[in-house]
Amino acid sequence: MSANNYEPNIVAFLCNWCSYAGADLAGTSRVQYPSNVQVIRVMCTGRVNPLYVMNALQQGADGVLVSGCHPGDCHYMEGNYYARRRLGMLKDLMEFIGVDPRRFHMSWVSASEGHKWKEVVEKTVEDAREAGPFEGFRRRRIDW
Amino acid sequence: MDLEKLRETAAEVAAREDVKYLIGWKKGTYGYRVAPGFIEDADGAAELIFSPLCTANLATYLTLVEKLPLPRGEEPDDRKTALMVKGCDSRAVAQLLVEKGIDRENVVVIGCPCPGMVDPELLAEKYPETEEPAEVKWTDDGFIVIRDGEETSVSRDELLAEKCRLCRYPNPVISDIMLGEPVETWEPAEDEGVNEVENKDVDEREAYWEEQFSNCVRCYSCRNVCPLCYCQDCILDRLNPTWVNRSVNFSENTAFNIARAFHLAGRCIECGECERVCPANIPLGKLNRKLAREVRDKYGFEPGLDPEAEPFQASYKPDDPEDFIL
Repeated sequence: MSANNYEPNIVAFLCNWCSYAGADLAGTSRVQYPSNVQVIRVMCTGRVNPLYVMNALQQGADGVLVSGCHPGDCHYMEGNYYARRRLGMLKDLMEFIGVDPRRFHMSWVSASEGHKWKEVVEKTVEDAREAGPFEGFRRRRIDW
Repeated sequence: MDLEKLRETAAEVAAREDVKYLIGWKKGTYGYRVAPGFIEDADGAAELIFSPLCTANLATYLTLVEKLPLPRGEEPDDRKTALMVKGCDSRAVAQLLVEKGIDRENVVVIGCPCPGMVDPELLAEKYPETEEPAEVKWTDDGFIVIRDGEETSVSRDELLAEKCRLCRYPNPVISDIMLGEPVETWEPAEDEGVNEVENKDVDEREAYWEEQFSNCVRCYSCRNVCPLCYCQDCILDRLNPTWVNRSVNFSENTAFNIARAFHLAGRCIECGECERVCPANIPLGKLNRKLAREVRDKYGFEPGLDPEAEPFQASYKPDDPEDFIL
């Protein structure tokens, strides 16, 4: 794929209670946002194993987004606080290992923030586009 | 440290009714080798040593012990394990207590204040291994290397291991019995290894780690030697789901190394064992120390100091940094 028609492939992990509903609201409100994101619904960001991020990059994602409720608003009281701590560490580690920091983002999007969702996606896609196709430790041969 | 006192104490502890065995260091078969010694009675204590060659972290044997199913009618042996620890090893014990990997009542900790270990590779490079047993001893301001009956004094900076240069806790943080007086702590050196990688730009870092990780043969020595990698069902061994494929290539090696380093974030006590045993000489310590530094600087947390503390990744503070969040 040449550089000019490159479309980044973004995997987004959205929490069921806030961000997923926020993205849904963006849809029902007919907010236009880039279609590069593949949404994976999880019950809580605290459920996102940091290795999911690593695995997504390995299996062909160019960028990963994790989005959940604002701190204090978690449906399970504290799940997003755990996620913040773990994924913050993961981001530091990835950066240290040489993964472009623009490939991994985390955000808080509540169920009423359809427009914020649009901005977050635009920013993520733009960053991944700037960073270019992810070649780092992607699996080179996928035979199945 | 006074070896007589060490052996005397060890003999006393090993002879105790409620102690299964004592784990300490003993002389290996040749050269500078030091082997772990499992002492079951008072007589065995005579072969214990504590010298600048005792780099191994024996805390790993606390969780490495195999628990086989018992024959019918047999009672489990629930006597204690006695363990000799340096400063860094004691932090591993403390961290194991935090994670409830071991029970406090099941272990007798014998603390050995540690003036700093030699780097085994550096030592063998400068003063090659001999067939006959050789020795290294501490002096006031360095080491004495004794090989083939010949004594050479060496300055401390010349042979001191990297982990000891950076050490902040040379005295055991927890112990039941303390051998000798606590040593004077020294100013930890600036961590040049991590700084050097940090100062590179992203592409250079990627190239650096690609070179390192490509050497990895995935022997999992680093995991097996680590006192804190003791999950019975490790994700690296698991087939369903397969987190890390078995093929040895850069992608899977990186995935393995990320997983290993990440699972030690906020837990690693920087004993440097992973780096020491790595047959490919991958600087795993840099990964661990980088994460330990982030945990310390950003979250104000240091693992393995307080056995009552909350585990880092299983706790949170409402005011954790979130500058990376969009």
